[in-house]
Amino acid sequence: MLKESVLYSTIGELARQIQAKQLSPVALTESYLERSEKYGPKLNAYARILRTEAREQAQTAEKEIERGHYRGPLHGIPYAAKDLLAVKGVPTTWGAKPFRNQLFDYNATVIDHLQHAGAILLGKAAMIELAGGFGYLYASASLQGETRNPWNLGCWTCGSSSGSGAVVAAGLAAFAIGTETWGSIVCPSAFCGVTGLRPTYGRVSRFGAMALSYSLDKIGPLARSTEDCARIFAAIAGHDPLDRSTLPIDKAAFTFSPAADLKPRALRIGWLTNAWREKDYDPSVPRIADVAHRTLERHFPSVKNAALPEGPWEAAANIVLASESASAFASFIRSGQANELIDPLGQIGGYVNLTVSGADYNSALRIREILQEKMADLFEQFDILAAASLPVPATPLPMDISKGLDFADPLGGIGNLCGLPALSVPCGFTEKKLPVGLQFVGRAGDDAAVLQAGRSYQAFTDWHHRHPTLV
Amino acid sequence: MNKKNAPSFSRRQFTRRTAMLSAAVVLEPAAAVLPDTGATWQGAASDPQLSRESQLESDSRYQQILGLYSDRLDDEQKGHIQKMCAELQRTLDKIRDYKLQNGDAPALYLKPLVERERKPQPARNKS
Repeated sequence: MLKESVLYSTIGELARQIQAKQLSPVALTESYLERSEKYGPKLNAYARILRTEAREQAQTAEKEIERGHYRGPLHGIPYAAKDLLAVKGVPTTWGAKPFRNQLFDYNATVIDHLQHAGAILLGKAAMIELAGGFGYLYASASLQGETRNPWNLGCWTCGSSSGSGAVVAAGLAAFAIGTETWGSIVCPSAFCGVTGLRPTYGRVSRFGAMALSYSLDKIGPLARSTEDCARIFAAIAGHDPLDRSTLPIDKAAFTFSPAADLKPRALRIGWLTNAWREKDYDPSVPRIADVAHRTLERHFPSVKNAALPEGPWEAAANIVLASESASAFASFIRSGQANELIDPLGQIGGYVNLTVSGADYNSALRIREILQEKMADLFEQFDILAAASLPVPATPLPMDISKGLDFADPLGGIGNLCGLPALSVPCGFTEKKLPVGLQFVGRAGDDAAVLQAGRSYQAFTDWHHRHPTLV
Repeated sequence: MNKKNAPSFSRRQFTRRTAMLSAAVVLEPAAAVLPDTGATWQGAASDPQLSRESQLESDSRYQQILGLYSDRLDDEQKGHIQKMCAELQRTLDKIRDYKLQNGDAPALYLKPLVERERKPQPARNKS
């Protein structure tokens, strides 16, 4: 098996060696497979490891590269995909028992994009059942059980992209694909000490992905650095005729070159003073967030305090989510199949969601329109809004979410209701050696700004280079 | 997870919990205000955060669910659903309390502002 330091390399470092034929995609894949099979079950990180398929893809990649057909920085790079993305002929369980044998005869567009880029699919990452659509109380709300945090096996990874966070943090693959409806990329990234990008709504096709909330769902990468996220985002972003919610070609596509200027423009950063309530902070987090704030002040030309607008934004987001998830799974709920879900809240939450009226849903959408304008006003003053990704570090298992994650989340509500891009980067560790995340949020479509902010921040810090020691 | 071991319920939205079950729930008979659905009736949650109208709507929502699905729910699940209906009601009250003008159109299909021109200001103040 390759050295652990190789397996924790960034995509950029791996790609340089692969392109120079100094690193074999087959050897890299075998090493990640071996590590995945050793640690994956301990962490409950995977829904399924695709050993045979991954080996075949690695051999194909190696032959292509030997012939001189190098596809780009993801060629020969192994990754994991959240188990709500369809992969032809492989069970796609959505993390839920009632769907444990579900098969699709096509790939999700994201899987196809990564396949065309030459990336190697190692396996399907574990997830919270149905992405937590009807609510859940416990981290165990998954077909694979509770996913354990590689930094502390007694802690959770957060959800619903729980396996994606664990896979990257544990060095089981070079990157993973997750999804976010509300918090499911930002939270696992923060809890697991990895870098995660929630793209602008509509930039990444959701064709072949489980639909939970049609106007909130996004797909994005979790990786070792902002540059890695940018590389992956460049491969998966783009208009897709199979997903009518994707933006037009010129607005959806993204290009990235690591040679590009680190600071193509002077970012105006707003440090959010009301992203989290004082009482919700774990005592360890404010100190770490303050250091991150000061780091931003040192390295960015303009950092000023900013405040999110006041309003019922979380409530509106909740109503949109409740109504759309009830619609997406209406027959599933009405048939009584939800009773087969693991979590006691998931078993019954759908019944309540089904009762939201059309009038109330429409009111939530009208509030969304107003909020979008208010956020556009705020982004007249700032290019980036920054705050701690979460007010708490990874929570202990067994996890009772009603106690451990009992806090309001206006930034998450606003960011997801408006489809804003966000990036979570590691910014420090608590005394218990648990990672803490820093979140950058940008205006809709300006994913480049959040990536620039993260890339600059990581040029001045080394938190993203740290990784846990697994036994 | 054994649902019998479930602690007090709260609505969970992904990685967050919106604090909707912060208020104590007092159980009291509700036969006086609720229609008889024939379902097993444990008592209605009277939530001090809800107005009388909102409480009635929450109870009605609960009764609607019982009317349709009572036979597949045990008493503990019914109790939790009752509390969740009250939580939902508080969420609905928040958006209903927000003043919307007749001309405030919905974001019918989410197109982030990157995709369209901003509305001219101050459109919301005009009648």
